[in-house]
Amino acid sequence: MNEPTVHIVDDDVSFLNATSRLLVASGYSVKTFRSASDFLAQNVAETPGCVVADLQMPGLNGLELQTALGRTPNPMPLLFLTGQGDIASTVRAMRGGAEDFLEKRAPREQLLDAVRRALVRDGQERAVRSRQRELQRRLGKLSAREREVLVHVLQGRLNKQIAGDLGISERTVKLHRTAMTTKLGVRSVAALTRLAHEAGVSTTDGDTFPNGQ
Amino acid sequence: MSWVTVIWSMIAAASLTLAAAHLPVWARNREALPSLFLALMALATAVYAFCEMAVLRAQTPEEFAAVVRWAHIPIWLVVVALVGFVRTYLKAGRWWLAWSVVGLRTLSLLLNFTTGVNLNYSAITGLAGLPFLGETVPVPIGTPNPWMVIGNLSALALVAFVADASVTAWRRGNRSAAVTVGASATFFALAGAIQTMLVFWDVVRMPITISLFFLGLIVAIAYELGREVLRASRLVQELHESDQRMALAADAANLGIWVRDLARDELWASVRLRAMFGFTQTEALDPERLLERIHADDRDTVRQLLVGAPATNTEYDAEFRVTLPGNGVRWIAARGRVDVDERHRPTRSRGACSDVTARKQAELETLQLRQEIAHAGRVSVMGQLASSLAHEINQPLGAILRNAEAASLVLQEVPADLDEIRAIVDDIIHDDQRAGAVIDKMRALLRRHDIDMSPVLVDELLRDVAALVRPDAAARQIKITLEIAEGLPPVMGDRVHLQQVLLNLVSNGMDAIDAASRKDRRIAVRATRNGADTLEIAVSDNGSGIPQDGLERIFGSFYTTKPTGMGMGLSISRTLIETHGGRLWAENADGGGARLRFTLPIANSALRQPP
Repeated sequence: MNEPTVHIVDDDVSFLNATSRLLVASGYSVKTFRSASDFLAQNVAETPGCVVADLQMPGLNGLELQTALGRTPNPMPLLFLTGQGDIASTVRAMRGGAEDFLEKRAPREQLLDAVRRALVRDGQERAVRSRQRELQRRLGKLSAREREVLVHVLQGRLNKQIAGDLGISERTVKLHRTAMTTKLGVRSVAALTRLAHEAGVSTTDGDTFPNGQ
Repeated sequence: MSWVTVIWSMIAAASLTLAAAHLPVWARNREALPSLFLALMALATAVYAFCEMAVLRAQTPEEFAAVVRWAHIPIWLVVVALVGFVRTYLKAGRWWLAWSVVGLRTLSLLLNFTTGVNLNYSAITGLAGLPFLGETVPVPIGTPNPWMVIGNLSALALVAFVADASVTAWRRGNRSAAVTVGASATFFALAGAIQTMLVFWDVVRMPITISLFFLGLIVAIAYELGREVLRASRLVQELHESDQRMALAADAANLGIWVRDLARDELWASVRLRAMFGFTQTEALDPERLLERIHADDRDTVRQLLVGAPATNTEYDAEFRVTLPGNGVRWIAARGRVDVDERHRPTRSRGACSDVTARKQAELETLQLRQEIAHAGRVSVMGQLASSLAHEINQPLGAILRNAEAASLVLQEVPADLDEIRAIVDDIIHDDQRAGAVIDKMRALLRRHDIDMSPVLVDELLRDVAALVRPDAAARQIKITLEIAEGLPPVMGDRVHLQQVLLNLVSNGMDAIDAASRKDRRIAVRATRNGADTLEIAVSDNGSGIPQDGLERIFGSFYTTKPTGMGMGLSISRTLIETHGGRLWAENADGGGARLRFTLPIANSALRQPP
């Protein structure tokens, strides 16, 4: 895994350099961008890290950057800095999932804490997202009939009942269950249940599987 | 005593009296030449009266001849003085006739001393006795001098000259003088001429009594001049009346009046003027003492006017302060004019002053009020910009903080990276200056500020304003463009107030764009030359424009469409632009949106004095 990088986006070169210096001196790996579009032009999806952005910028502003970032497959946590925060934009930023909202002149500890938290969250989210992707990949291997059987199993029904519901023989149900556990790499019903839950498979509607990307 | 002695002495005495009365008139006023001529005629008549009396008392032909000869000298003087009088008093009479009279008379005088025993006789052989006024007077017996004809000619020329001059004067409308002078002079000259001709050509035997005719002549002329004096005295009275009326009017209008005689350097001032400057009615005044009372700040300006105006022969007006003893300060408005003589030399200056303290105070209060409103307007504009200005300042301050924090971390490393520290310190200094500049700009705008006109570069003005509003505009996603024509001259104006107007217009434009919620959001500020003496600045937005009936109403006080607006911005802006001698108006742009335009006088045209 790459080293996490702090991406700083600010139109004010002076502030950009100063913040970069502080974070480098604090031991972070840092990349700087003069504008939100410069930043988005870099393909940073696979880079772990976080974004520290000025809220008020000419061109694409902070909130628009947030929206654009949200559409990427692997959004980094976003930390807003502002010269002068007004309530309306703060609320919008936080509602949009901003990691934090700091004044430009916030104490160093607050900034470093926020960066640290953002990187931790990024690591966690990245882990969760990669696990989910793995599970999705495995669920994707199941045939349609196997998925139907899976839903019924998760609903706690017996093989006989499942066979009755689906109009197939109990033996065929057993075969599907074996293929299913093999494909998903689980051994017990308990493990299967946990995996399905983690992957977000619904137990109420046979057709709703989480969208595999 | 004999009648002859009494009458001729009285003629002489009367003539001398008239001379004594009129000579001083001329002595006081050298331009009163008619009085001089009358006095000369009267003197000559007195002398002639004595000669004539001597003739009437002559015992021998020789004595008779000698006295007659000498009598021609006063006759010459009477004739010449009469010609002079007619010319100067009636201002008429042909010059060639005048010179003919004088020439013939002078020739007669020469002939009088060179031919015969006098002009009238070649020889007198004896004297006959003739009863006259109860005594016997001598009448000569002899041969007439043929040259006497020259004397007669001169008398006729005199009659012609006077008659001609009188007709001219009559035609010009100077009728009473023409009658009095013309008729009497013609009559008495003709009478004298006829008598001498009859007597000396031996047609009639009688004593010569020309002095009587002369006396009649000078009495008639003296009467005419006397009427002139009467008229003058009536004029004096009328003048006095008019003076009184003037004084009354001046008092009613609170005007103080002064007259300064430039030749004698004397100053006369009316009672009210003295009061205005804090002088008593009797104190002696001179220009320097008046100047001393003028406020030290205004004194030099007024002194220059007083000195300069006579030199340039101009009218002038001025407003200045007067410091009264007791420390009161009054504002005085003065208007003055310089009178010149016919050679355009300044003779006197005169003028009127009025106390305009009340008006000045009201003007000052209005100005103060206007400045307070302008200040309030500026504070309100600044309020709207406050968040973006805070951003402007927090940006460098934040950078300073981060740099300092970074530096303290770098210093903890061993060995510390001194090059990095140096770079950091340089950046800190740069950012501090940046923050300082923003604060200076703000302070300049927020300061209470007197209107101070000086040449302002439009380019700089617009860029300063753009720098102030750009952060706010950027946050609101509004693009601001400047279009400044090449080679614009500076305008005459107050930088802070012009900034305020532009800030107000741009800030209004941004609000209009917000209200219209368009995608393409822009404001254009254009500066162009607009004629010889003005240029124009236009602020266009692409908001939703102004309703047609609102184009003028938006400049009214307390007119606003914004929930938080004070409704004073445009009203103040218009006042400020008008104070600059420009015009501010609104219109809707063709492509939608509003355009606010104003004109400003360019600097050198504003400096030019009004003609």
